[in-house]
Amino acid sequence: MGVVVGPRVIDAGMSLLSVLISPVPVAAGYPSPAQDYFDGRIDLNEHLIKDITSTYVVRVSGDSMEGAGISDGDELIVNRALEPKDGSVVIAVLDGELTIKRLRITATGVVLQAENPAYPDIRVPSVSDLVIWGVATRCLHHV
Amino acid sequence: MSKPATMRRMPQIAHVDVNCFYASAERAFDPSLEGRPVVVLSNNDGCAVTRSPEAKALGIPLGEPWFKLAPRAKEWGLVALSSNYELYGDISARVMELLGRYSAWLEVYSIDEAFLGVKGTPEELLALGRTMKTAVRRNVGVPVCVGIAGTKTLAKLANKWAKNNPAFAGVCHWDSVAAADRESLMRRLSVIEIWGVATRLTKRLNGLGIQSILDLSRADPVMIRDRFSVVMMRTVLELQGTPCIPMEEERIGRDQLIFSRSFATPITTAAGMRQVLSVYGQQASARLAKHGLQAKVLTAFAGTSHFNPKDTSYPSVCVPLPMPTADPVLLTGAAHALLPHINEGIRYARAGIMVTDLRPTGNQAPLALFENPHEERRVGALMEDVTRRYGRGSIGLGHAGIRGGPDWTMKRDMLSPRYTTHWDELPLVKAA
Repeated sequence: MGVVVGPRVIDAGMSLLSVLISPVPVAAGYPSPAQDYFDGRIDLNEHLIKDITSTYVVRVSGDSMEGAGISDGDELIVNRALEPKDGSVVIAVLDGELTIKRLRITATGVVLQAENPAYPDIRVPSVSDLVIWGVATRCLHHV
Repeated sequence: MSKPATMRRMPQIAHVDVNCFYASAERAFDPSLEGRPVVVLSNNDGCAVTRSPEAKALGIPLGEPWFKLAPRAKEWGLVALSSNYELYGDISARVMELLGRYSAWLEVYSIDEAFLGVKGTPEELLALGRTMKTAVRRNVGVPVCVGIAGTKTLAKLANKWAKNNPAFAGVCHWDSVAAADRESLMRRLSVIEIWGVATRLTKRLNGLGIQSILDLSRADPVMIRDRFSVVMMRTVLELQGTPCIPMEEERIGRDQLIFSRSFATPITTAAGMRQVLSVYGQQASARLAKHGLQAKVLTAFAGTSHFNPKDTSYPSVCVPLPMPTADPVLLTGAAHALLPHINEGIRYARAGIMVTDLRPTGNQAPLALFENPHEERRVGALMEDVTRRYGRGSIGLGHAGIRGGPDWTMKRDMLSPRYTTHWDELPLVKAA
C-alpha cells in the first residue's frame, strides 16, 4: 500500500508571499515568445567595420576638423583599403605625421582642407603627390 | 593522349614574407621612421633582431647588442625600439587573414611568412603575386615580397631574389626567369643561404666540393641521404624541382606551445622561479583556451646564461597531466615540479614551459573520477575575462602575484604604443 497524498488544502491564513515562493520548481505555462526572435545583441564590429584586415581605429588630436563634427579626442574608424575620393576625410602623411584633412579633387588640382578657418589649405598638383594612409569612415564623437 | 602542358599545370607554391617585419610594423603607424635607420631590439632590449635597410647600410650586424649601438645612435640618427609583440602579433594576423583570401591552402610558417598553394599560367601567377603584394601594403600597411616556384625551397629562394634584386619589383616567379639567370644566381649563393641547411653542415658540404646552391642542386640525392640525412636529400630534390616538403595546414599550435623568456635580472631563488612558472602556467592556460585545446604533457625548464660558462645549470622536468587540460591551476601546479631541481644561488637567465600532446577540447565529459574541479568552476575563463577587461597582471594565481612588477619581467624601455590592441594607445592623427 502506497501513501496516498490527497489534495492540499490551501489555508486562507497563508501569506501571499509564501504562495509566491513555491519551494518546488513550477513549469511556466507560457514560454517567452521573445526567445524565438533573439539572435544576439548589436555588434558594432559587424556594422562599423567592413574589412578587419584594413581597418584601424585612430584618435584625433587637435581642432582643425571641428566643422566636420570631428573634435579633439574623438576616435575615427579608418579603412586603408578605400579609394580616396573628392570629399573623403582622409588620413594623410604630412611631414612624417598622420594628419586628418578633407580631400578635394578638382580640375585645377588637389587640396587638403581643414574644416576650421584657422588652418590653411594645402595644395598639391595631383593625388599621387600625397601619401594617403587611409580613409575615415566613421567618427566616434564624444557628446 | 597526353594533355598539352598548359592543361596539366602543377600547383605551385607562393612564399610571402614581410620585409623587415618588426621595423615595417612600427613604420606603418609612425611614418616619421620612414627612411631612417631603425632597429628593433630583442627581449629585454638585448640586441638588434630587425634592421631596416638603412640600419643594414650602416653596417649594423644582426644580433648586435644594444649597449654597443647606443653610444653611436645619436650620431647615426638611429632609432631603437623595444619589441612591441602586441602590435606585431596583430599585424601578422591581419596579413595572414588577407593572404588566406587568395588561396584555400595557406600555411602560416612564422610570424611574418606564409606559404600558399597557387595555380595558373606563369602570367597569372605573376599577376597574383603582384596583387597580393599590393593588397598587403595597402590594406595592412606593410611591404611584402613574393616568391613563386614549384617547391617550397625554390619559392623561398625566389623570394630572397625578389627582395635583393629591384628588377623583380618584389615578385619573382622562378619558372619565368631565364634558366641561365637562375643558374648564375645559384652559383653565386653559398649553400648556407638555402632554407633548411644548418650552418654546422656547410663545412661538411664544402668538404665534398659543394660550395654553392648550384653545386647542391646537382648533387646525387642518394649520396646526400647516406652522408647527411633524409632532410638534406629533400632539400636537394626540392632544388631540382621535386616537391618533397608538404604544405602543413597549421604548423604551430598543433603539437606544442612554448612560453619562454630571458630575464631582465637573473633569478637566483626557487621562490622567484615559482613566480615565473606560475605566470607561464597561466599564459599557457589562456592560450590553450583561446585555441580550444587541452594539453596532456607539460615540460618545465630553466637555464643559466650561455655567456656565463661557470655554474651552469639546465634543469628540466616532464610532467604527464592527470587528464587533458587547459586548467591554470593544474598547469601551474605541474610547472612547479621544476622547483626541487632549482639550485639556490645559481643565476638562471631563462625559464619556460612547454605544453605538448595537444588535443581539441572535447564535448565528451570525462568520467566523474577525472573531472577537474577548477575547470568546472571556470577558473580559467574567469581569469581570462578579468585579464581582458582590466589588463595583464590584474588577476593572478597564487605565486604569480598581481602587482609590484616582479624584477624578472621583460624590459621594454623603448616600447612604441600598442596601437591596435589597446584603446588607450591608439595612433594619434593630427588635426592641425
